Parts: sequence; structure tokens; C-alpha cells
Amino acid sequence: MKTTARSKGLLAGLLFLLPNILGFLAFTLVPLAMSFGMAFTNWDFLKHNMFRDVPLHFMGIDNFLRLLRSADFWLYLGNTFYLMLGLPFAMAGSLVAALLLSRVERGRRLILPAMIAATVVLIASALGMVWLGASARAMWMLFALLFASVLVAGVFSGGTLYRTLFYLPNFTAGVATFVLWKKLYNPDTGPINVGLGWLLDGVASAINAMPAVFAHGVPVVCALLIATLSIWHWRRLRRLWDDSEAGVAAIIGGGVSLAVAAFFLLSWEGMGGLYAWSGAAVVLLVWVLSLARRPRPWGKPKATDKGLGTEVAVGMVLIPLFMLLAAGIVAGPGLPAAAAVGIPAPDWLADYNWAKPALMIMMLWAAIGSNNMILYLAGLSNIPPELYEAADMDGASSTQRFWNITWPQLAPVTFFIAIMSVIGGLQGGFEMARAMTQGGPAGSTTTLAYFIYSEGFQNGSMGYASAAAWILFLLVFVLSVFNFRYGNRHVND
Amino acid sequence: MATGTSTTDLSRQRSGLWLHVLLGVLSLIMVAPFIWMVLTSLKTLPELGEPGWMPAKFQWGNYPEVFFVIPFLRFMANSLVVAGWVTALQVLTSAMAAYSFARLEWPGRDRVFFLYLGTMMLPGLVMLIPNFEIMVRFGLVDTYAGLVLPAAFSAFGTFLLRQFMLGIPKALDEAAEIDGASKWRIFWEVILPLSRPGLITLAIFTFVGNFQSFFWPLVMTKSVDKYTLPVGLLFFDTERGQATHLLMAGVTMSVIPLVIVFVLLQRQLISGIQIGGVKG
Repeated sequence: MKTTARSKGLLAGLLFLLPNILGFLAFTLVPLAMSFGMAFTNWDFLKHNMFRDVPLHFMGIDNFLRLLRSADFWLYLGNTFYLMLGLPFAMAGSLVAALLLSRVERGRRLILPAMIAATVVLIASALGMVWLGASARAMWMLFALLFASVLVAGVFSGGTLYRTLFYLPNFTAGVATFVLWKKLYNPDTGPINVGLGWLLDGVASAINAMPAVFAHGVPVVCALLIATLSIWHWRRLRRLWDDSEAGVAAIIGGGVSLAVAAFFLLSWEGMGGLYAWSGAAVVLLVWVLSLARRPRPWGKPKATDKGLGTEVAVGMVLIPLFMLLAAGIVAGPGLPAAAAVGIPAPDWLADYNWAKPALMIMMLWAAIGSNNMILYLAGLSNIPPELYEAADMDGASSTQRFWNITWPQLAPVTFFIAIMSVIGGLQGGFEMARAMTQGGPAGSTTTLAYFIYSEGFQNGSMGYASAAAWILFLLVFVLSVFNFRYGNRHVND
Repeated sequence: MATGTSTTDLSRQRSGLWLHVLLGVLSLIMVAPFIWMVLTSLKTLPELGEPGWMPAKFQWGNYPEVFFVIPFLRFMANSLVVAGWVTALQVLTSAMAAYSFARLEWPGRDRVFFLYLGTMMLPGLVMLIPNFEIMVRFGLVDTYAGLVLPAAFSAFGTFLLRQFMLGIPKALDEAAEIDGASKWRIFWEVILPLSRPGLITLAIFTFVGNFQSFFWPLVMTKSVDKYTLPVGLLFFDTERGQATHLLMAGVTMSVIPLVIVFVLLQRQLISGIQIGGVKG
């Protein structure tokens, strides 16, 4: 009797699973096994296809050895990691956007009148523009009217409008956005450099007006600041170490990051090397600190202080700071001479050193209002209001409320987003490279994903590309296990 | 909250105003590239080289011209068909699998589920090359089936809907079972209607994601009449020539349906995620 019930349950369970599991087998498990096999052969699309069937050769681990020996592979791996430095900023942006939106959404909701009002203002401004004719003045009027209509609609709709506008980049996150940004970044005609041109002209004339001594002092001040910050940071690290709260994993992570940093320092040239090196150094610090069991950043033990939070926050302030300071050291001595002829705006995508930062700015713009923001919004509304009420009774400031209630309560969401971002980041960069830069200039925007695509589908070396894909898989796997093992700890304790 | 004194109400209103100004400015920053996009779509070809945002005269004719230069409607239809089929298949198969994982008791269930979860970690790129090879062998290259099938089965969707269905009270299907309903009827008439916000959430994520998917259509399509919109729009941006104004007109038209879908469904989108919950 019982066994028949059990087997009936099994039958029903499997029948419901069947459609999904068939697809899973056909398009996940079989390809996985195939690609593993392909990685050990000299499979070439031009030699082995349905028209020509040259026998395959088993190559052993030759593909992998060739990859690990090629300098390009390491450069592309470095590019991938470099672009991932933008992830914490993107997460913070999503969180801030969600926090702002959740504060607005507690208000009234009058969606229909808001929509009608906004539409009326928009139509009026469009008519006005047509009437005025297209001119620079009309441009500013358009912006002013848009701002006004956004405000009116936002006040009445209680956040619905803002949320839609923030989410807007998501709809074009495909190729369209990339082409759009390519035009925005155009050094001669793009609006970004037109705006930057005015700004830099102002800066140049300000520097020209100053005695040269000040400009020569820039690198010294930058170096002093870097030293101070580093000492402060290492002392924090020491304290955590003395409390024996940094584990073996922290040391391993630190060693790996150090190796990466050393690699950047040795193999990259000029400004790019310094940027990357300082970035990697900060990542090292952030990693080590975030692995400490119970971070106590300002020396005050807090019962509710958990999650990767404060380290990520500290790191996010430090990464751009270090980059700016490093740039100051490099560019400082040349400032007066440069200002005399006018400081040029960067060539963005056409410049080896600026191409990756340009992509990171674009990714940040696209990521703020993404699905992550929606996940954060949902997470925020799941926090029990009693927690805030209790904090209000104790007279907590809004900063305390954030670090002691909001941030720890959001830890599962943050964990989920962090894992998904890291997995996505490692596999990312293909579409950007394909639509914006073709991986250039000089391979500076070629990520592993684009490398796999160009080797496999443009050059036809499927075996070689499969080997690269499996190295990528290993990376994702190791990082995910690492995340689950050490990142999860803060979430569940 | 409603019993707050008038002074706190006032200060709250004042901070609310600043909040709105801040959000308004942020919104404008997010929207500015789109304004540039629309204005560029109204320029003439020589004007593209000039730095200003404004065209001298709005060239509304650019929009009809898109339809003459490329088969825009065909690309749009291809994208809608592919994304629509992927969404329908993915929601259905994920819902069935999620029902099996969340509501049915069978030996080994949770072990199989964790295997599923593990596959979310695999980079799609590892599967891409052999998937292409499989499509070549089955002769599915350059067909709709080849575009739809590999994207139609998702561990992520199963995971999302399972979390959602776990939140539906068990008493409901027990009551239905006592009334003599079959498993399929319970699934179809009890669980599915109650999972509506979760299904809509998954449908939006899937539809938007697949409407813009680029990599797979790029390698899978050979003939122009199978191109999806993201692939087809690249006609305006090649090494041989750039027609940025037409490209921007095409992009503008391709965004509109997605915005409409989002505005209509966004409230259910948020509530779908809330109830489903994201637990690490």
C-alpha cells in the first residue's frame, strides 16, 4: 500500500519534471559533456564539419597548455577582472536607488492623475519645441520642461515613474545601448567630450593662473595620502588579525590578489598599469577584510553588524581614491605644461588606457536601475517595520538604522546579487566588445567571453575555444564555492 | 505613522521634496542618453558629425525610411516570435518542474533540485559551442526552433517559481485532493492561478532578456529574414558605413513595446519578487 503510494508519487513528480528535464539534458548536460570532450581535441570548424570530415586528433591537455602559455590569454583574463572592479559600485548604485525609491513609495499613489499631468506637460513642451523651432535654447527648454514633468508625475505617482525611468536602460541593454554609448563617447562629436571640453578648459585656465609650485606639489601630496591611507588600512587589518578573526581563506585570497597585482604591475604599461595595480591592491584589502569573521571597522563591537557590508563600502570609497591618487602621481609633474596648451579630453574607446573605464561607466549606468534594484526593492519591503519602530524608540540615527537594521536584513539579497554579479561578470563583456570596440584597441577590451567567441566562431578553432571555456568554468566554480563557503557565513549566523 | 505630530509631518514633507528633486535629477541622468537617441534619430546624415544635440529641423522622414532600408517589421516580428515562444515554453516547463519540486513528495526530490541549482553556476559559454554543433547536426541552424529551444529551459525560472510556490498554503491542494482532483487539475486550477505574480515576474525577465539577446541569434541566423532585431539593427553600423540617425530611429521604435509592457505589469513584478523572496 505504502510502496504503491510512494511510486505513484515518484511517477507524478517525474512526469511534471519531464519537459524541463528533457530540455535540460538536451541543451545543458549533453553540450557540457561534448564541450569537455572537444577541449581535448583539435576540433576546427573549417576542417571538421558536415562537408569535410578530417579525422579528429586527440590532443591531451595541449590546448590547455597552449592557453596558459599565451600572454594574450592572461591579458584577457586581466581585462575581465578589471571590468569586474565596477561590480561593487553597480551594487551600491542599485541599493541607493532602491532606498530612495522605497522612501518615496511610502507616500500616496495617484497614478492616473500623475500620468495625465505628465502627458499634458510633455505634449505642451513638444508643441512648444515645434513652435520655437529646433535651437540650442529649445534644447534647454526641453530639459527644464522634462525635469518639471518628471517632478510633477513623480510626486503624484509615488515612485512608479522614477522606477520606470530607472529601469529604462534595461530595455535596451542589448546592442542598442552599446551603439548609443559608442556615439556618446565619440571624441569629436559625442556629447560627453563636448561637456568635458568646457570643464577641462576651465581647469586648465585655473592651473595657468596658479604658480607652478602648486602643480609640482600634486604628486607629493598624492603619495603622502596613499601612504597614510595604506597605513591606516593595514592597521585595521592587523587588529583583525590580532583578534585572530582573519582565517586561512583570507591568507589564500590575499596571496592570490597579491599575485594578480604583481602581474598587473609587471605586464601593463604606463598609466594603465598604475590604475590596475592600485585597483588590485585595494581589492586585496577589501577581500581580506571581508573574510574576517566579524568585521569591526571602527573598533566598536556591534551585535547586529554582519554581512560583507562595511568592507565593500570602504573599498568603494578607496578604489576610486587610489586610482585618482595614482593618476595624480603620474600626471602631476606634467600639469603646468599640459595646461598651457589645454588639457585634452580622453579619446575613450580609442585609447588603450581609457577604453575599460569607459565601459565601466556605461555598465554602471545600465546596472543601477537593473533587476538588482528591483530585488533590493523587494528585499526592503520584506524588512519587518517593528525593527525600525524599536530603533526609533532607542533614538537611533538614520545611519545607525541603516548599518544595524537595513544592511544586515538585506544580507541574503546582497549575497544573491553578489554571486549572480560575479558569475555574470566573469562571463561578460562579449556584447560590448562585439558592438563597440571589436575587443580593441590592442586587445584592451577583449574579455574571456569575447576571446572564446572570436577563437571559436571567427577563427573556427572550436577545440581551443572549448578549453578556454572550461578554464572560465573552473574560475566561476571556484569563486562560487568560495562565495558560498565564506560569504554565506555572514548571512546565516 | 498616521498619528505623527504636525511638525514631523512638515519636516517629512520638506525632506520629501528634496527626495523628489534628487530622484528627478537621477532620472534625467538615466534618461539623457535616450533624449540624445531620439534627437539624433531626427537629424540628417551630415548633421551627425556636428556636436550639438539639436537637429536644425526635425527629420520625421527618418522613421519611415527605416522600413525602406531594412525589413524592420520582419526583424521585429522575428524578435517577438522568438522571445514570445521562449517565454511561453520557459514559464510552462519551469512552472511544472517547480510544482514537482515544491508540492509533490517523491524520493530523491531535493537532491535533484540541488543538481538543478548547480547548473545555474555554469557559464553559458561552455555550452554555446557544442549547442551550436548540436544545432548543425539536427539541421536547425537558421530556423526558429534553433533560436527558441536552447533558451526555453531554465534552472533560474524553476528556482524562482519553486520559492514562490512554497509560500502557497498546503491546505489548498489538500482540500482539492479530498475533492478528488488529479495532480494535473490541482496544478492547473489551484497552483497556477495563485502563482500569477511569480509567473508574470518570470515572464517579464525572460521576455525582456530574450528580446534583446544577441549572441545566440548572431551565430544561429544565416539568412536575413531570420534576423532578430538586435542583429538586424547592426546593418546601420558596419565598417562600410554608418547611418546612425536611422539606427537610432530603429532603436527608438524597438524600445517602445518593452516600455509599454513594463509600465503595465510593473506592480505585479515587484509583488511577485516580494512574495517569492530571495533567500540565499
